[in-house]
Amino acid sequence: MEEPRIGVYICWCGNNIAKMVDVEAVAAEVGNLPNVVLAKTYKYMCSDPGQDLIIKDIRGHHLNRVIVAACSPRIHELTFRNAVEKAGINPYLFEMANIREQDSWVHTDRSEATKKAIDLVNAAIHRVRFHEPLQKRSVTVDPATLVIGGGISGMVAALEIANAGKQVYLVEKTDRLGGHVARFDLTFPHLSSAKQMIHPIIQRVENHPNIDVFKQSVIRDVSGYIGNFKALVQNGQPEPLELKFGNIIAATGLKSFDPSKIEEYGYGKFPDVVTSMEFEEILASGKVLTKHGKEPRNIAIIHCVGSRSKVYHEYCSRTCCMVALKFVNQIRAGLPECNIFEIYADMRAYGKGCEEFYAESTHRQIIFLMFDQQEKLPVIRQAEKTDDCNMLIEMDEKLSGESIEVPVDMVVLMVNMEAHDDVKDVVHAIGVSLCGNQFFIEKHPKLDPVATTTGGVYIVGTCQGPKDIPDSVAQARAAAARILATIAQGSVAVEVTTAFVNEEFCCGCQTCIRVCPYTAISFKEDKKSSEVNEVLCKGCGTCGSACPSGAITSKHFTDRQILSEIEGIMSMSYKEI
Amino acid sequence: MNFRPTIVAFLCNWCAYTGADLAGTSRMRYAPNIRIIRVMCSGRIDPTFILTAFQQGADGVLICGCHPGDCHYQTGNYKCLRRFKLISKYIAQMGIEPERLKLEWISASEGKQFAELVNEMTKAILNVGPSKIKSTLEVKHLKS
Ligand code: FES
Repeated sequence: MEEPRIGVYICWCGNNIAKMVDVEAVAAEVGNLPNVVLAKTYKYMCSDPGQDLIIKDIRGHHLNRVIVAACSPRIHELTFRNAVEKAGINPYLFEMANIREQDSWVHTDRSEATKKAIDLVNAAIHRVRFHEPLQKRSVTVDPATLVIGGGISGMVAALEIANAGKQVYLVEKTDRLGGHVARFDLTFPHLSSAKQMIHPIIQRVENHPNIDVFKQSVIRDVSGYIGNFKALVQNGQPEPLELKFGNIIAATGLKSFDPSKIEEYGYGKFPDVVTSMEFEEILASGKVLTKHGKEPRNIAIIHCVGSRSKVYHEYCSRTCCMVALKFVNQIRAGLPECNIFEIYADMRAYGKGCEEFYAESTHRQIIFLMFDQQEKLPVIRQAEKTDDCNMLIEMDEKLSGESIEVPVDMVVLMVNMEAHDDVKDVVHAIGVSLCGNQFFIEKHPKLDPVATTTGGVYIVGTCQGPKDIPDSVAQARAAAARILATIAQGSVAVEVTTAFVNEEFCCGCQTCIRVCPYTAISFKEDKKSSEVNEVLCKGCGTCGSACPSGAITSKHFTDRQILSEIEGIMSMSYKEI
Repeated sequence: MNFRPTIVAFLCNWCAYTGADLAGTSRMRYAPNIRIIRVMCSGRIDPTFILTAFQQGADGVLICGCHPGDCHYQTGNYKCLRRFKLISKYIAQMGIEPERLKLEWISASEGKQFAELVNEMTKAILNVGPSKIKSTLEVKHLKS
């Protein structure tokens, strides 16, 4: 092996790192370590000038190893791997030290944070000495795409791909396409018909020669990797169907929160307390009537049901405020005399045209009443015979500071959007992660909001978080464009950090074969040795830690590399104690 | 002399490391004694890594993986758990206090739990004091 010539770059990340970590001290400390040719700091390593700095140094100083101490490798490892590759170094001869997410952002003592950064950079220096070049492997991309979920996001994505002449398999759990949008009456803020919008889309999807729709179907046993997945579609038939595809779009959506959990609202007890989804259907029927067929004289709309609450969900569902205003407009159009009460916690009108819509709607003779979501929820109770209304809402009105009673004949609960009960099944099937609110986690919250950390798997629509129709559609088209780009290229690079068996050391015990979750290892009788199928291996490394004879190398996570990392961490801290 | 413990942590890439990153993006605060090493899966954590960390002078070793059932590679965390049980017995015989080795499951969304875990472990190690392993014992590498 040629003598390592390491270049170390410490990023300030503006002030994000430099404020808590003395970057110059880190550079000075590691600059004299063996094999370190240079150690520099720069304001933004990930910027073009930052990357150019590395490229120039590689050429000018004949570096053959590069370390960047900056943010999490989950964010920019690929950026820097590409940069060093541009300068002619194998991308795997690069290593990152995470001194932002796992250092400057979590510590408050500057000298401790600086020491930690030195240890982490030192660990990277020790490790990178043992890095070996790995040859990239690319695989052909199956041009078919699997879309899970037949709501508006899934359908739009499917159409975009199918219109480009590529095959799509669209798998829908229920017996119909259209998802929630198909149940809406009008949409906000333009009060245009949801049905007129969604029905042509459903028809195009169902009749498209490039789209195979599977209704009342679920996907299971997904295996493979970007470009080459396969899975079974189960739809009640005794024999599940096997599909092959190169990319996956999850568009599994969210569901309505069940308001019967909130006792104060009496949902399930009072027939005229309905959810926003149920009210859509009432509106679609053409006439707003109570369960007894009477025209309501007082309607209340209660916001944030299950949202922005310590007990249920802390997040905001983003669309309910505007849907509530849409209801107000629709009710007013049909019932000019009806008293309408908007019982809200906060009014959120952030979208395009939404603030204007809010301002407009306030002119519809609506009574706005505010409650404190964190203090006391309004309570609905049955009215007395003498009350001349169906129910009464007791509430503390926040702006006036008064406790009041609101007479109502009908109450609409603006229910939160929450994850499906079976969300974990999807998560496990396609290998994505969930955030604390049970939404799928995107690869990068700002720069890569439709991809996931699993190559070839995209997330669109509300399964990624509550959103309105335009945002869902934008994501759907974005994911479709990403997939069409990979299909057009015909091949993609895949991870090469797989396991490797050194036949000479293999004792033939076959422990590795038993621990491998992917049946990627087989025993070669003639050689009396195990052998790894690189296509099936996903690089988890569990065989490497199980192998009793040290015959298995987990590429890029070798024993030598990790042990050196430990040594690097300890070589500095030990001196201090 | 002021005791500044060093904890070497092994975190799987998919859940635990992401959870630790989230603690950062959410600007949670925790004790600065931890040094994190990323592995793809907790199933990659070889007992040698743990022993080497102690041998090199670590005062504690923390292992974090995905919750049971959530491992990105199906079952790596179960394998990790089994190895952890074995190595716990082994280190006890070497005279290493049980507080010094910990295994916890951290999901990608559990930044807060991660920060609390680091604080608790740091506190526990401050209580047991510096590890004497490095000075009293030469751990034979299982692998060279
Ligand atoms: S990937 Fe986290 S434990 Fe296996």
